[in-house]
Amino acid sequence: MTKLLLKEILRELLSNKINLFFITLALVFSLTALNTIYALGKSAEKQILDTLANLNFGKDALLVLAGGSRVMGLTTTRTDTLVMEDVYAIERLGFVKMSSPFTGGLVEVSYKEKAEKLRLDGVLPIYLKANNWNILKGRFFNEEDVKNNNKVVVLGYDVARKWGGLNLVGEWIKIQGQFYLVIGILEKKGSLGHFPLDERIFVPLTTAQKRIFNQKHLRGIKIILYEDTSINLAEKTIRKLLRERHKLYGIAPDDFRIVTPEMVVARHTATSKTLSAFLLVIALISLIISGVIIMNLMTASVEEKAGVIALRIAVGAKPKHIILHYMFSALLLAIVSGAMGWALSIGLMYLLSLLTPLKPLFSWGTFLLSLTFSLITCIIFSIFPAFKASRIDPAILLKGL
Amino acid sequence: MSKILLQLREIKKTFQSGKVIYEILKGINLEVEKGEFLAIMGPSGGGKSTLLNIIGLLDRPTSGSYLFENREVSTLSTNELAKLRNEKIGFVFQAFHLIPWATAQENVLLPLLYRGKIDQEDIYRAQGLLDRLGLKNHINLKPAELSGGQQQRVAIARALINNPSLLLADEPTGNLDSQSSREVMDILTELNKEGLTIIIVTHDSEVAKRANRIKILKDGLFIE
Repeated sequence: MTKLLLKEILRELLSNKINLFFITLALVFSLTALNTIYALGKSAEKQILDTLANLNFGKDALLVLAGGSRVMGLTTTRTDTLVMEDVYAIERLGFVKMSSPFTGGLVEVSYKEKAEKLRLDGVLPIYLKANNWNILKGRFFNEEDVKNNNKVVVLGYDVARKWGGLNLVGEWIKIQGQFYLVIGILEKKGSLGHFPLDERIFVPLTTAQKRIFNQKHLRGIKIILYEDTSINLAEKTIRKLLRERHKLYGIAPDDFRIVTPEMVVARHTATSKTLSAFLLVIALISLIISGVIIMNLMTASVEEKAGVIALRIAVGAKPKHIILHYMFSALLLAIVSGAMGWALSIGLMYLLSLLTPLKPLFSWGTFLLSLTFSLITCIIFSIFPAFKASRIDPAILLKGL
Repeated sequence: MSKILLQLREIKKTFQSGKVIYEILKGINLEVEKGEFLAIMGPSGGGKSTLLNIIGLLDRPTSGSYLFENREVSTLSTNELAKLRNEKIGFVFQAFHLIPWATAQENVLLPLLYRGKIDQEDIYRAQGLLDRLGLKNHINLKPAELSGGQQQRVAIARALINNPSLLLADEPTGNLDSQSSREVMDILTELNKEGLTIIIVTHDSEVAKRANRIKILKDGLFIE
């Protein structure tokens, strides 16, 4: 590729500016759409991940829930086999950083003249650390409260706000007809799913087991692993351990479920993924349409430049020279349009981030994506015009005029 | 060393349009020696352009034999023909056919683009040719900035850049005024005197007089 040939290609492209403008426009628009949709999808996904990491779950966490797989929402196995001894056994595993057992259920709570059904969780002091949460006012319960089954309660932020705010610390509220001392209020913590965390109340695990639910078993255990532990391996090990402890052999189904971060993310991103896949398909269709536009315009351009092409052939250009010439034009168009589409989509995402909670996600990945799709489109759709150009009969030069 | 540059034997060319078959060339026999200046004349529709296309390796005959420098070329592949055109034949057209967005010098260098690398020597050679054809001060002008005569001289320089064995000119003066026509014909005559074989197709008997041999093509056959 000599400099002169490159210059020749560039000038030929520039010789019909309107044509060039429309080709670039079509490409840039569809690439902008593609990039923006892709990046926004990624951004939404990242936000869900971040939320999960900050709030409910965590990257290096597992959740063991009592009761095996469900059929039509009903557990088909026993649900009362998960106990504190299982927690101790799990804690002995090398990769477990901490574990936070919990039980819980809906209870009748009343304060002054108001009564409400609230979700109550019985947890251990480690719960706050395991969930990356902090107390806003007062204190969380300690080992002493757990040991003595103390009748103390910590309120979620929204519960406290509804009933009188931070002044509730030190007040007594009634749970299932018994008085409990409010010792603390938790920080606000948004969450996804049923029973938002801010609308729950918390008591020591032992208090919940012995005084409220009268049961020995747990509803679940949140397990925090050391960083860089293989989640899959940890899941397998814990499953094996629990099956042994619960004396489940052979084909006996698990009487517990292990929830991994991926499962949580998958559940929360399933909808947004479907949507972004749908939008991506639309963007790809628009890319194909712009490809057809390119093909159309390039074919018109080849017809318009038939004389010049015939001349090139007459002075010795082989078909491959002509094909490469137009393919290279397409390549240039693709690179320029790809970069422009990417830049525009970043601008668009920035605008969207001002209007919606989505944050723009700068990444070279989307740049490559843009460039790749641009290249694929341009190359595929310039094959036809390029071959058409290479087939031009140089004899038209002599018949001319 | 043979003196014959090209030799056509019973060259026929037919075209099919629907069910009708037109025979444009009905058996052309022609020998051109090196250094000859041949003019082909004849009425429109007589097959001049078709013959020129075949001689110029832009088209293949339907039947017959064509020896170019003692090599049978009527059956060569598209790529081989392109290579031969590039190395052996220079074209001058009635409508000049310069690339509108390229300068005079770049137009002259065009055939070299398909041969390989263009080095500084090639550029000097292009400048030398333009200089010789009186376009010294126009090498960086685009075709639209040149007169018809100047454009045709650029086209001649382009035809000469590869040192061809044969120069084919199709009505080279057809789009020019008489003054420019004379200049262009002077150049061609001079090139012929230096040994370049030239075949020219023309309507103009003034132009044809410059040649040392005239053939007249009518209804697909030479009549004299």
